[in-house]
Amino acid sequence: MTPAAVSSWQRLWGAYVRWTARAPALATLVPFVPVVVLWAAVARAGIFPPVFFPGPVEVIQKFGTLLANGILPAYLEDSVVRLAAGAAVGMALGIPLGLLVGLSDRAHRALWPVLLFFQAIGDIAWLPILLIWFGFGLTTMIFVIVYTVLFPVVLNTVLGVRSVPLELHRAALSLGASQARVVWEVVLPGALPNIMTGLRNGLGFGWRALIAAEIIVGTSGIGFLMFDARRAGSVVEIMLGMIVLGVLWYVVDSWVLAPIERATGERWGLVHR
Amino acid sequence: MKSLTIEHLQKTYFDPYAGKQVTAIRDISLTVAAGDFVSVVGPSGCGKTTMLNMIAGFLPPTAGAILVDGHAVSGPGPDRGVVFQSFALFPWRTVLDNVAFGPKMRGVPKAQRHEIAREYLALAGLAHAAERYPNELSGGMQQRVGVVRALANEPDVLLMDEPFASVDAQTRMTLQEELTRIWAERKPTVLFITHDVNEAVFLSNRVIVLSQGCVLDDVAVELPRPRAWNALIEDAAFKALAARVLQQVRAA
Repeated sequence: MTPAAVSSWQRLWGAYVRWTARAPALATLVPFVPVVVLWAAVARAGIFPPVFFPGPVEVIQKFGTLLANGILPAYLEDSVVRLAAGAAVGMALGIPLGLLVGLSDRAHRALWPVLLFFQAIGDIAWLPILLIWFGFGLTTMIFVIVYTVLFPVVLNTVLGVRSVPLELHRAALSLGASQARVVWEVVLPGALPNIMTGLRNGLGFGWRALIAAEIIVGTSGIGFLMFDARRAGSVVEIMLGMIVLGVLWYVVDSWVLAPIERATGERWGLVHR
Repeated sequence: MKSLTIEHLQKTYFDPYAGKQVTAIRDISLTVAAGDFVSVVGPSGCGKTTMLNMIAGFLPPTAGAILVDGHAVSGPGPDRGVVFQSFALFPWRTVLDNVAFGPKMRGVPKAQRHEIAREYLALAGLAHAAERYPNELSGGMQQRVGVVRALANEPDVLLMDEPFASVDAQTRMTLQEELTRIWAERKPTVLFITHDVNEAVFLSNRVIVLSQGCVLDDVAVELPRPRAWNALIEDAAFKALAARVLQQVRAA
């Protein structure tokens, strides 16, 4: 048998693999090319009225307008600040609670079923009662985000604490560490990959909860932008809002979360890519 | 370095599945003199790891006493250094910081504890690996780190729980030779647990055979040091001792 000739497809594929290795940003952007092309083609074909189904060009123009008049940056800032504040409070409560439940058998027995119960009540299911208690305001929104971030962080921290091998506790103790130092030196770093997973899930859920809260409660923010656009019948703005959501999540994930994971769990060999 | 004494050690525990008390250690008494190297061998289930876990303070004994230099001890402490079969290195610390961990817990300042760690790493031929993370090292190198991490904390007694059981056969022989060299240099008091009879005889001054939670025999090993596998593997005295111990372990 003669070796098969290298087809032009294989050559093209090889070139693509080499390019994306040199510029990883390409690997992210290129798959969107067909999506945008398809979107533009459907819009251009005039199957739907342009007001119902605008094309990429209109959305980019709208992006320019909202950027220039400052609405988009201001709303984006509002949403991101709310998410960051909620995530910070959620972690500040969730990590210590997770350590307690993970380390103490009694705390685990007492709290675990309760945690599972409250985790099952979705964030948005709280909105009706929160609106009665706190009204249409920041308190309601922060409560929802903290609530959403808290449970994935607590549950994953517990998992992480319990996954630290017993031998590592023992090694630290017989090298002279006190129980408190074992928590700081062994339990916390050992649980870190799981805590990061919890944070990643929590932020993902929190982001969604925030948009939902802004739609119902909001006076600003990306969710509010989209819902306000619905009132005005502006599909362009709704689409723009959706795209901003997707892009923003990608940025948070690849510029904040992924580098932390590379520097910790993956470096230490606790997590394999 | 100090002596280690065990007096009438017993361990029974309740097995909730069988619904009855199980005896792991019936009655063990032994003394390891200061600077001596003693191995404990026995078939699996003879209680040797349970015994080590009690001496290390990881498990409370049901009855009996554990004395280091004549003083009773309970709970884990830096006076009894432990080398684990699973290495138990901290994955998030570099090799240097793993070895410096004990001194750090004692409050030794950073520059000083790094100096201590480098000295001990050099002792095991690991100076070049100081800045690496444990997962970047081979199993043999990881356990070298495990041994010097315990030694760098200058324990009174060094407890080793089948430390070379999970490395390949060739590396194991090298590690055994290195351990005899390091022991000769530093003379720590060592209690070494293993199921490998050849290993026990090769390393030790005394081999204790354990069976069903009791001491079956106490064999003195008077082979000359330094010991090397190339010489001992065909040595008549070594082979006779190993055969004697092996027969007891198999009968146990």
